[in-house]
Amino acid sequence: MAEISLSGAPILGDVHHDFGACILAERTDIALISVAIPKDGRKALSDKLKELWELSVPSAMETRHTNKIRAIPMTVDQFMLAFSSDGTMSETDAQESLADVGYTTLQTDAWVILELKGSGAITALERICPIDLDQSAFPIGSAARTSMEHLGACIVRLEADQFWLMSARSSAQSFYHAVETSCRWTAS
Amino acid sequence: MIIHHPLLGPRDAAEFVYLGDASLIERPDGLAENAEDTMYEYVYLRDNPAGLHRELWYHEQGDRSWLVVTRNTVTHEITAVELARDVACDKGRSK
Repeated sequence: MAEISLSGAPILGDVHHDFGACILAERTDIALISVAIPKDGRKALSDKLKELWELSVPSAMETRHTNKIRAIPMTVDQFMLAFSSDGTMSETDAQESLADVGYTTLQTDAWVILELKGSGAITALERICPIDLDQSAFPIGSAARTSMEHLGACIVRLEADQFWLMSARSSAQSFYHAVETSCRWTAS
Repeated sequence: MIIHHPLLGPRDAAEFVYLGDASLIERPDGLAENAEDTMYEYVYLRDNPAGLHRELWYHEQGDRSWLVVTRNTVTHEITAVELARDVACDKGRSK
């Protein structure tokens, strides 16, 4: 039987827009799975994450990160694992690794990830993101779910002026339009 | 209005959806002998205080948690915010 391999298509056409003070681009190289923590199963899951990737369960607003993989908090008993989709590890590999200790769901094709970086990133976000992005309140490695314009979103701070903005893939164009408009109006 | 989420810190009230009186957590036993009266009270009767009121808010544009917010209905001052699951567990519920 033939080996069939599918790869995701970028929902925004791999967009990359340089506004001068900031750059907004679609990340198409990130695989996502969500992990729900079973009742009374936090320790077993945490032990497994440590064994597999030297990772731990993220706290409410703080991601966990190793070279290969990032754990992003979603809700009290659920988080997202984000890792490179370069073929080193597939979503199926990750799901099978956690099969006995957590409830996993493939999420790669449910989200769009925009990366916003540059000295103007904060100014652009101030217009649409209600989260306090001061480094004292939202340091590097922080993550928060919130709304931008009218759309549910998740913001992750990778560096002082580098962010992932995640939202539903079904409204990716609207989300991109909202962020792009903010960049355009503030970054020039 | 800012709601101080117990886990996430201060968040704009626009991220939340209001449900109503926190007594909704205490759903009566629908099979009890007096179920007709208790369910009637549970579904239809609410206190309407001018002052402190415990109410359920849902963090829809956030971590999807349910909160019990104690709010003064006259001044809108919020004096306490708890996770609804903690409130329910304190009442002997399993989740």
